[in-house]
Amino acid sequence: MLPIRNSAALRDLILPMLLLLSACAQNVPEPPPRPLNLVGDVVLNQATQIPAEEFLLDIGVQIFSTQSKEAEEYEIGDWVFDEIIQKETQFLPHLLKNTLVASNQWGAVRVIPESDPSLDLIVLGEIMQSDGRTVELEIRAIDSSGREWLNQVYADQSDQEGYPESTRFTLDNTFDAASFVDPFQDIYDRIANDLVSVRSQLGLQALVELNLVTDLLYARDLSPDSFANALTENEDGLLTIVNLPSVDDPMMARVADMKYRHHLFIDTVDEYYQTLYDDIQPAYVLWRRYSIDQISEVETSRQEANQSDYGGSSGFLALSQRYDRFKWSKIFEREFSDLAAGFNNELAPAFLELNSQVHGLTGTMEQQYREWRGILRRLFELENGEVAAGATE
Amino acid sequence: MTICGFRYFASLGVTTVCLILSATAWAQDSLPQLDLDLPLRLDFSGSWEKDFGRSDNWEDELSRTLRVRQESAARQQSSPGSSRIRSAPPISVGNINLPRSRGRGANMVDLARLAEYISRQNTIEIVQTRDEIRIERSGEAALVCGVEYELQRTFSSEHGVEVCGWEGQQLVFQIMLPDDLIIMHRFTVGSNQQVLNLLTSVYSKGGDPFNLRLAFNKYQAPRDEFNCIQTLSRGQVCNQSGADLSDILNN
Repeated sequence: MLPIRNSAALRDLILPMLLLLSACAQNVPEPPPRPLNLVGDVVLNQATQIPAEEFLLDIGVQIFSTQSKEAEEYEIGDWVFDEIIQKETQFLPHLLKNTLVASNQWGAVRVIPESDPSLDLIVLGEIMQSDGRTVELEIRAIDSSGREWLNQVYADQSDQEGYPESTRFTLDNTFDAASFVDPFQDIYDRIANDLVSVRSQLGLQALVELNLVTDLLYARDLSPDSFANALTENEDGLLTIVNLPSVDDPMMARVADMKYRHHLFIDTVDEYYQTLYDDIQPAYVLWRRYSIDQISEVETSRQEANQSDYGGSSGFLALSQRYDRFKWSKIFEREFSDLAAGFNNELAPAFLELNSQVHGLTGTMEQQYREWRGILRRLFELENGEVAAGATE
Repeated sequence: MTICGFRYFASLGVTTVCLILSATAWAQDSLPQLDLDLPLRLDFSGSWEKDFGRSDNWEDELSRTLRVRQESAARQQSSPGSSRIRSAPPISVGNINLPRSRGRGANMVDLARLAEYISRQNTIEIVQTRDEIRIERSGEAALVCGVEYELQRTFSSEHGVEVCGWEGQQLVFQIMLPDDLIIMHRFTVGSNQQVLNLLTSVYSKGGDPFNLRLAFNKYQAPRDEFNCIQTLSRGQVCNQSGADLSDILNN
């Protein structure tokens, strides 16, 4: 037997064998569709009066994450759709943020690039599915003490009626952003209502303590040495206060000052996300509309395929029809991929703009955010050092 | 004067060396990283037009195939001990969830007509990068395949499944349609990269295939005057070649 020295040659020989083996996998039944935890029709719980100050927790809605796919799940060209999901991770949190603001139940609500110790409650989300028909999100909400408020999968479905005529762009039909209601608004309303529900179960005292824990947690983030013993974990793994500084503690005053500056920064970051949302919303809604059209088309095509009675006919007409159906389904999918690529092209400048916003800082918004926190820490150390030196003199 | 002249030439020399070194460094920086895990494939790229002289005429090929089959059948009758070998396509992934029916496969005439039907394009455009190859034929969806060693599923729907892979330096696409109808395209390119051969085989229910060989010559297609980019809400946005499209997108 000839030794095979070239690994490429070896793999080229293995390929046909693998192909033959894979023939054994034919006619494998498709797995049933995963059941969705649909939220149904939801009415947002809006406060008619501004709640008491202790209830006005500051919320950060962190940029969502996505589920990673195995390499073998990819077909050629799938990266285009991955890119869209990546963009949605920055777009969908804004819809949740707007809903939380509209509920009038909370303090400042911001979209943030990373977890932030200066906020009372962080909402994290993972996009499990997102297209024109279905949105499925896994949502977790954790407060500064580590208490989990939510850990649940939410799903909502839409139909063609969820997309008004204004979402079909033509020359004389412009998108009306002001009156547009997201087809999946119910999902965000449900999350907002669930957060309010958890807050009401906590009670006033727990919320007061939570505010203090947030202050100390942020202080510890700025100066780990100075506030090392301020907080401890209890048996439930939650942060509790050990040493509460006095109200007129100068160190805490400086922490409050830093927190104020930091919140100015994250307000600005949030505004950039708002601008991004405004910029890409028309194209995004149009994309969703194409997506639901495509899903409807695929379903119709599937029904046709199931109803097709080839009847064993093997004449030229039957053969060419089989080929044409395949060809057009492929052309249709490729056109949809091209639209997806077009969507990414159209959004690219807006994302470029987002990532070059903060002057003097470099990198993506996440990197700029990290850089800013580092600057604040150094500034705090510097100011603290000067104060300490002044006290020694 | 001499010293000054020497200094002048010396400094000029140092500057030149520095420039060469920095240019070399820049050139190295700008070189794309070579991924050694990706196999090197022959270059299929370019514009190709059908060479009618060297391509099969489907009717002639049908007559030839039928004659060969008749001769083969006659030989079998004269020596009954010999068994007929059924042919099968080299890439056999089966009809995954595609409808099947009983009965005999299509006859050779219908397979030949189908082969002709799907091979009517007179020109082919091929774009090849280090990672993938894209074959554009008018009226057809592009055939796209990566350069990897592994079999790649490139498209699947209720109406059929398409896979591609490489056998040596041959690029093979196989389309599996309902009722065990299989179409295979096998692309090969000459070592001078001036001739492209395409063998299209059509199989029905594991029977003998009909093969149609087409030859293509490379030609110089006129350069596109416009540089276009696809957008969602404005369709294709174009400007004259060479200009930056980002300004258009920003506006």
